Amino acid sequence: MEADELMVLVAGGDQRAFEQLYGLVSGPVFGLVRRVVRDPAQSEEVAQEVLLETWRSAGRFDPSRGSALSWILTLAHRRAVDRVRSARAAVDREQREASRYHDPAFDQVAEEVEAGLERQLVRRCLDRLTALQRQSVTLAYYDGYTYREVADRLSLPLGTVKTRMRDGLTRLRDCLGGAA
Amino acid sequence: MSVLGLFRREDLHSLAAPYALDALEPDERRRFEKHLTGCDRCAAEVRALAEDAVRLAWSQAAEPPAHLRSRVLAAVQRTPQESSRAPGREYAPQLPPHVWGTQSPPGRSRAPRARRPLFVPFATATAAAALVVASLFAVQAGRAQDELNAERDRAREIAHVLAAPDARASTGKDAQGRSIGVVASAAEGQAVVTLSGYGKLPTGQVHQLWLMRPDAQPRSLGLFDPDTPLVATGLDKVATSLAVTVEPDGGSPQPTTQPVVQLTLKSVGFGE
Repeated sequence: MEADELMVLVAGGDQRAFEQLYGLVSGPVFGLVRRVVRDPAQSEEVAQEVLLETWRSAGRFDPSRGSALSWILTLAHRRAVDRVRSARAAVDREQREASRYHDPAFDQVAEEVEAGLERQLVRRCLDRLTALQRQSVTLAYYDGYTYREVADRLSLPLGTVKTRMRDGLTRLRDCLGGAA
Repeated sequence: MSVLGLFRREDLHSLAAPYALDALEPDERRRFEKHLTGCDRCAAEVRALAEDAVRLAWSQAAEPPAHLRSRVLAAVQRTPQESSRAPGREYAPQLPPHVWGTQSPPGRSRAPRARRPLFVPFATATAAAALVVASLFAVQAGRAQDELNAERDRAREIAHVLAAPDARASTGKDAQGRSIGVVASAAEGQAVVTLSGYGKLPTGQVHQLWLMRPDAQPRSLGLFDPDTPLVATGLDKVATSLAVTVEPDGGSPQPTTQPVVQLTLKSVGFGE
């Protein structure tokens, strides 16, 4: 059964449907959260929150407005970013060290896990962006930096970063294919 | 509208991409979300951009630890659900509006099926799967868009095979080091087959794939395009091996030459 249909059952309180949904989404949710949060224990915590929130608020999911999977992953990303930012803020308060720019770590992560088809495809498409587009998108999405922080790290004007993010995402869409 | 007002509006529009990436500061996020509720164009744009961002999420899928499952399921047992959609509430305040949204994304209706490719079980990411992937991408550069689209469709079919719970992979090499790779699901009766090292055949010749079964004629599974994996469907469980022969253009009803390579299907769950 597809995630969209399962969500409807889950919204009706069906725990077995949730178990199935868990099978479908836990990998992407956990992987994304871990990529952003990094710390394994915290990643588990956030992933658990997200999955539980999926159960609690399944009734709000409206299939006519997008797929269940984007719904869940958007939620997961938001929660992961919130977590990593509050952790960073705590660290920053203690030591305001000037962090120097380093290249986004998508290389190391790609090697960390086995190659799935989608991963290969995304990797390939990320490679086709300009360096600034790629860094703007990945520093924000995978590393959880705000666009102001990204501008800071890349020493670029804010407007340029916003444009690079948009161009990067649009180009990624063209490369990946709209309906993937 | 004043020049300043216009400027600020434009300024807000430009936040769509950072917003879709969750890259706004909290107060900016709130301002932009407020703006979104009154700007259909922005809401549509944010949705499209957010879908792109979600693709970045998919590529990071990783096996969660087993105890996460039991923890979550136990928590579900004792956690009551929210009563469904509160009337008059457009979206949950803590969640991004494009998720709860005000309108459907523009022209991006997605077939639910298309999502399946993304659930590729990690156990199948073996050498043969890598071979499939490698050959898929080896030749993309410089291709026309429609070819790329066809490729993507094929990628989807391939991923569908890879996603089968019983999908298994195997490779075979011949004496010259040329290889055949297969990822197959006996339950689905499907296989993805790749050839590597066989190069281009002279004009008028083609590599044809055969299914070998006990007490039956070989059955054609299709013709290889150069450098492209072949997706074979309708494989019966009793099949014992795959064979590749060189045939005249358009293929033959039965093999007319000796196989250039053969691969047993036993290790991928067939031949029982």
